[in-house]
Amino acid sequence: MGADTDVGSGSTRTGEFREEASRPEGDRDLPLSERITRNPGPAATWAAVVAVLIAAEFGAIVSGLLSVPPWGWVGGLVPGVVEPVAALLATVAERGAELPTITSRSVIDNTGYQTPSGWEGTTLGLSPAVAWALRVAVIYTYSFTWLLVGWWGYTLYRRHYRIPDWTPRDDVVNRFRRHSWGLFGLTIVFAFVVMALFAPVLGPTTVDQNIENPYENRIDYYNDETGQVESIFVGEANGDTQSRGQGDNNVGPLEYDQYDRFHPFGTLPDGKDLFTFMASGARVSLLVGLTSLGIAGGFAMVFAMLTAYYKGLVDLGVVIAGDSIQAMPQLLFIILASFVLSDTWIAEVYNGGLVLAILFGITGWPALWRAVRGPALQVSEREWIDAAKSYGQRPRVTMQKHMLPYVVGYFLIYASLSLGGVIIGIAGLSFLGLGIEAPVPEWGRAVSAGQPYVATQSWHISLIPGILVVIIVTGFNALGDGVRDAIDPESDIGDGGNENVAAGGGA
Amino acid sequence: MGRWEYFLKRVLLMVPIVFLGTTVTFLILRVGPIDPAAAIIGPSGDTEAYAAIRDSLGLDQPLWIQYAEFMRDLLTLQLGESWVVVRGQSVWELVGVYGPRTLWLGFWSILIPIFVGLPLGFYAGLNPNTLADYIASFGGIVWRAMPNFWLAVIFVSVLTQSDALFGFSWGDWLVETQIVTPPDLSGLWEPTQFLGALKAILPAALVLGSASMGNEMRIGRTAVLETKNANYVEMAKAKGVPGRLVVWKHMFRNALIPLVPVITGEAFLLLGGSVLVETVFAINGLGYLFFQATINGDVPLVGSLMFLFILLSVGINILQDFLYTVIDPRVGYDGGA
Repeated sequence: MGADTDVGSGSTRTGEFREEASRPEGDRDLPLSERITRNPGPAATWAAVVAVLIAAEFGAIVSGLLSVPPWGWVGGLVPGVVEPVAALLATVAERGAELPTITSRSVIDNTGYQTPSGWEGTTLGLSPAVAWALRVAVIYTYSFTWLLVGWWGYTLYRRHYRIPDWTPRDDVVNRFRRHSWGLFGLTIVFAFVVMALFAPVLGPTTVDQNIENPYENRIDYYNDETGQVESIFVGEANGDTQSRGQGDNNVGPLEYDQYDRFHPFGTLPDGKDLFTFMASGARVSLLVGLTSLGIAGGFAMVFAMLTAYYKGLVDLGVVIAGDSIQAMPQLLFIILASFVLSDTWIAEVYNGGLVLAILFGITGWPALWRAVRGPALQVSEREWIDAAKSYGQRPRVTMQKHMLPYVVGYFLIYASLSLGGVIIGIAGLSFLGLGIEAPVPEWGRAVSAGQPYVATQSWHISLIPGILVVIIVTGFNALGDGVRDAIDPESDIGDGGNENVAAGGGA
Repeated sequence: MGRWEYFLKRVLLMVPIVFLGTTVTFLILRVGPIDPAAAIIGPSGDTEAYAAIRDSLGLDQPLWIQYAEFMRDLLTLQLGESWVVVRGQSVWELVGVYGPRTLWLGFWSILIPIFVGLPLGFYAGLNPNTLADYIASFGGIVWRAMPNFWLAVIFVSVLTQSDALFGFSWGDWLVETQIVTPPDLSGLWEPTQFLGALKAILPAALVLGSASMGNEMRIGRTAVLETKNANYVEMAKAKGVPGRLVVWKHMFRNALIPLVPVITGEAFLLLGGSVLVETVFAINGLGYLFFQATINGDVPLVGSLMFLFILLSVGINILQDFLYTVIDPRVGYDGGA
């Protein structure tokens, strides 16, 4: 699958691309690399811009890619051979993280303290609030630049290098570009993904310093009484910045605490920073959600292909298997299974994230499969499938080349809808104290922590996470709607039975 | 294929589903790393008593015998006794105590959205692209995206302190009720008792029905928009049928068919989602019981409850197919399952 099937990648530029400029007739049969060599101009400009963007974040990209697998655990699996390699990769990841990037915490530093003469420790002596806002702005500008550059690359490919003037996908992309509700969804979803990706640098402080090891880190602050700069354990400072509703015990959104730390979303009841918690929680939610979607989507697509191709008994078998899983209420099943597995090795991986992903995947595929089963059956009755069969093409190839591309779009619709549901589900489980283990941030736990204070001045603890969930789930729904209208403007799928895909099992 | 033949086939299909679902439950409970004997004996760890309990529970027998007994007991509806949560209490009795609260909650969380969502949707559909339509539609979308447990937390906090916040005490309004407590379901035929039980369950029902309220609004709106310009509606109008009657007789019916899966889907959500809502509102229903049984390692209670849930969802599925068969004449003709 190339850019051709990438139906969701629309963006906000205007203009049509039908009028074709520099596409000589002789290029028809050349491979893409040849076509680029013949007309290197546009590709070179684009590659230069991409190179600049990568260079600006090189260290973060390397360490980001390498720090995703749990190296300690992987190394432990096969001690002899894999361990040194895993250790090496882990070191490379750590080194990469030290390279300066434009979004590094050290480039725009928001930690400091206020002396009578002004701010000390922050970049350019800005106030922590401004410095933090600036860093967030840089991160989002950088990310949305990537989005635009990606779109630009697609249009360049379309105008200069693609052989056909027009493909049906162009219509899909154009329809999506005019779908403002879908674009709204894409923007929200993209912003959420950026929040998850850049979580370590987005927060005004770090998870390690503020949430996981507050008694191993110290901060400096200016003591008004002694007139001295003093240092204190973060844990002790947190003890004085709790948000517990009554009296002085509250640090609300956009407020400084007495140690001159800025809290964009206020603090948790135990005095930790809510924004840092939320950003890191976004990462957990997205990672678990995407993994579970990968698992569920894999099952759903394979079964959809098999049932559409072979029909009959295979179809019946998958119907029974799917219905059996759906007969058990999803949330209850996950509660049960995650409790049963809670003392096993698999519950340790990603602090319980892997178990959750697998469970949401196993329980989620029947709904996804039902959603793509119809389109898969439709395409399996087309003439070209018959033709492929009668030419003796192997079933696997027929399914992959002639059926799968048609179904992928429908899959994206429900993937988008159900991802919101999974995020709600994970939050619901951690609200009950299940799922992701305790010190690791998860949104549901913030709602749970703030529950006693909703109607007090510390309302922010429960309300902000909930509002963010509402915005993000709405974003995923809007994106799903947009993709649906782009792929199949006349369809009425999504009305009725599958609506509940988005509800996260009732969480 | 005839409609009823098709329906019968669907019903027969439910047999292997119950069987498979129960088998999976058995595998999780007995093959997984959970140790029911340890859960009963608690942290004291007396080896002799532990062995005795394992023996009396038959945990040392071959797995296939355990499986056969497990299936036999469930399929003959001998649900056994709770081991940990309420030791010695039969599961049927527990269901008798906890079940009605969940049923009461479920009944209202299906009914309220229908009577709020559909009319709102009709209104939006009759006045398309007006401000009211946008507000209703957007409100429905946002309302649907709210996590139930979060909404429940907000409701509880606001209602318990409504006196301080709005100068209006929800707890004392009409009949005196508690907010975070199981509803009192005794003597429902007396008006005050009924009102009290309804009022106690109302916030929880609104929360649990939030997802389907949004869906039903959308369905109502679509149904009106689709039929508004249909020939038969024009005809009815031309004949001089009053507007209200046109809406209810000709448009409402069209909204019924897509409504069926929403209502049955809502029932599914109820089974699963009631855990969180019941926990927040302290309703002590089946979901809460299941949660307590799970975290306490009460194996027979968990197994029996899961079996009941499977029966319930299969029952809902059959009901859905039955409704389709009755309402929608197209079912079963082109073989679509």
